[in-house]
Amino acid sequence: MSEHKTKNVLDNILIKKSMCDNEVLNADYLKPAVQCEFSEASNFIRHFVRGLGGRELQIISDKQTFTDTESLYLPAVYAIFPFAKTNFTLYKLTAAHLWAQTWYGTWCYEIVEKLIRHCSTDDVMPVFNRLECIRLDACMARDFPGLAREFEIFGYTNDYAFAQWSQWREYGRTLIESGTTAEDSIRLIDQVKQLPLPPLKNYQGEMFVNQVHKVMIERIERDKSELTRMIQSIDVNEMKFKKSNFRDASLTRRLGLKNSDYDYENQKPEANIQLMMGAEMDTLSNFRPELISSILQDFDGIPEEYLQLMDLGNDNKDLSPTATTGNDRQQSEPKISGIFRYREWDYRVQQFHENFCSLRELPATLGDESFVDETLKKYLHLVNSLKRTFEGVLLESQLQRRQSDGDDLDLDAIIKAYAEVANGQEMSEYLYTRYRNQSRNIAVMFMVDMSGSTVGWVNKAEKESLVLLCEALEILGDRYAIFGFSGRSNQGCEVYRIKTFDQPYDLCVRQRISGIKPKSFTRMGAAIRHLGSQLQLTLAHTKLLITLSDGRPEDCDGYKGQYGIEDTRHALREIQKTDIQAFCITIDKEAQEYLPYMYGAANYTVIDEVDKLPQKVTEIYRRLTT
Amino acid sequence: MPKQPVNSSKRVLSNKPYYEPIGDEVAVFAAAYRNHLPVLLKGPTGCGKTRFVEYMAWHLKRSVITVACHDDLTTSDLVGRYLVKGGETLWVDGPLTSAVRNGSICYLDEIVEARRDTSVVIHPLCDDRRLLPIEKRGELLTAPPEFCLVISYNPGYQSILKDLKQSTRQRFVALEFNYPSASHEQRIIEKETSSDSNIASRLVKLGSMTRNLKGNGLDEGASTRLLVNAAKLISGGISPVTATDTAIAQALTDDVDMLEVIQELCRSVF
Repeated sequence: MSEHKTKNVLDNILIKKSMCDNEVLNADYLKPAVQCEFSEASNFIRHFVRGLGGRELQIISDKQTFTDTESLYLPAVYAIFPFAKTNFTLYKLTAAHLWAQTWYGTWCYEIVEKLIRHCSTDDVMPVFNRLECIRLDACMARDFPGLAREFEIFGYTNDYAFAQWSQWREYGRTLIESGTTAEDSIRLIDQVKQLPLPPLKNYQGEMFVNQVHKVMIERIERDKSELTRMIQSIDVNEMKFKKSNFRDASLTRRLGLKNSDYDYENQKPEANIQLMMGAEMDTLSNFRPELISSILQDFDGIPEEYLQLMDLGNDNKDLSPTATTGNDRQQSEPKISGIFRYREWDYRVQQFHENFCSLRELPATLGDESFVDETLKKYLHLVNSLKRTFEGVLLESQLQRRQSDGDDLDLDAIIKAYAEVANGQEMSEYLYTRYRNQSRNIAVMFMVDMSGSTVGWVNKAEKESLVLLCEALEILGDRYAIFGFSGRSNQGCEVYRIKTFDQPYDLCVRQRISGIKPKSFTRMGAAIRHLGSQLQLTLAHTKLLITLSDGRPEDCDGYKGQYGIEDTRHALREIQKTDIQAFCITIDKEAQEYLPYMYGAANYTVIDEVDKLPQKVTEIYRRLTT
Repeated sequence: MPKQPVNSSKRVLSNKPYYEPIGDEVAVFAAAYRNHLPVLLKGPTGCGKTRFVEYMAWHLKRSVITVACHDDLTTSDLVGRYLVKGGETLWVDGPLTSAVRNGSICYLDEIVEARRDTSVVIHPLCDDRRLLPIEKRGELLTAPPEFCLVISYNPGYQSILKDLKQSTRQRFVALEFNYPSASHEQRIIEKETSSDSNIASRLVKLGSMTRNLKGNGLDEGASTRLLVNAAKLISGGISPVTATDTAIAQALTDDVDMLEVIQELCRSVF
């Protein structure tokens, strides 16, 4: 858009804005019909920012507008413009501007360090903020012209601000050029700090470098140890290296970045990670792109120390073909006084701790069954639609051939019959085709997270999901069981029996669903091994273990982080070897960091909003089994 | 009415199909072909699997027979069946038999969509026997060296009933396809649609933005095919915002909230 056109649009907006500034009119314009609240925009913003790319950012409502590089803090309400839609747009622009700070290097490590050391005084940061705004607007104009047009239209608070910003743009014109960095903004600070500061643009927030620094330092440590651990855990046996190299202690592992695919000028952290062993090289596909992206947002490339060589001597067990990997089959002890014992995988030593977990199977507590009635009433329309959908699944039919009677003649059977007659044999009576409903031979085990973190809405949503699922499964006739799981430490693992495969969906089951309450921790490995072994005993063509969860595996005794993930992954692999399919439905927004690794790329679903869980769970079940 | 053999298209490609190699897939396929090994192509929809098969058919100078598999596809649909014509029974080859007889490349697209028992018929063709038993005729066809079987599927399908059985998949040389890198994808759009580099690069950016949403409201991000479609509309005079809305946003989802997000992303990029 030309400067002239922009100015015209701007004038219109400014007229409305100046009306807004009038105290008398303000009362009218700030009515709820005009303003846009955070809750109305947050879901959109979350998806929108995720779409823009880069590190996963939390969207949080706050009194101040800023980013600490892991969250975008936005105001609780926008009521600057006289239309709710325009204020909604302002939310989008604010989020986009803050995202731009994390994407175009405003907060890369070197800049933050420099700002902390030399420029964090109260009079310097506002100058830096405005210079960066000029640079980021230019970056956005190159990459997102649509957004840049809206920045122009909705950015200025009044005519005077527009004039002031024009003056600053003149001083900071070098920042508009492609290839400039936040370093250039810092260099300009001394030249412009005597000028009067223009007011912040409508979509611009504050800058709190100390908060950014604190969050960044923690993240850098976290990312570094995560990357190091991932390099260590790469299974070299799956790479294209010569096996003879594995034992050569002089050879080392090293992560390399294929620079040709990394276009930093356009700020697209897209990297192929390569593992080098001697002169050999292999590319790792899908090597935690979000982790690499996060590191690339903090640094100009992956720091050399992250790619430090690691002596194979440290982890020869990993690589040796004779390494102890434990018995493939899980070993559950016979039931001894109601306690089952299960082993646990320790990835650090690449071995099982045999009989490490003691698991008790207990009946779930009974609750007030009125919860079920209320849920059915609340989701009346959904239940009706579910019934139609699932009955539709049942009506899907299959052509049966060589039937004694049916809808149509079976041509193949007739030809064969004539041939037999011609051959002197008796004519067959099985000459017809007919459609018959496909028989579903599915057994499904639902494993419900009852950890303490599910307290509140999550617990309620889980229970509602189970009620709707039971309604759907009763229509389908699939065999199903429901168990909760929780516990405290390896000696206190518990699963709670809500419904077994042979039990009908009766009053007791409804009361047990109603009685589901948050308990303690999430030690998933033992629960998967136990419920997997039960599922294994059922006679069904397709066996499915579906976990409803709200977070990563965690217990109070060190069963957390990578340890918990690795054990859970191992447990899932064990049950998958017995032809059980595992799937996870979670509301944990960070689940993409670990669920693909545990369950496989296609075997999980993240549900954004807890209140959508009941609706989505049934939808996912239908998709999974049809 | 007796069922006709499945629709298939035998194509002899005289013009070189445009295909942008991503890695060593051309060399691997050619080596598999020389060694009479069947090939499995894995990858999301619209990433270039079918185009790759056409390119390889042209490269190897073979005709290609493509079968789009569906959930009612039977063994007879692939192998062939008897039809009654003028009081006589007449045998009609199915596309697989036809490909074996003619030494063509037979491409079974989205094999997991076919009935599970159907895939078993290809087993003897996929090991060192390279045989196709035609039970109804009591005939045993030996595949000529020129014959090659290629199957494809999308592992991202979240249905446990639509997975490829181990007994089938372990007979193939598997090539994994994914969306091409940004520079590759841009080149593909430019060559396929004669779009300028600015439009192509913006579409690539939009594509990667929608892929960021996979698993978070979208089942799949925009495929290269969708980006090419949008570029074609833009080249045809449709405004970029309308073109991306119709060719990408509306094609990706019906969810109102997600649609709004994708439409905003489209508007942001143009």
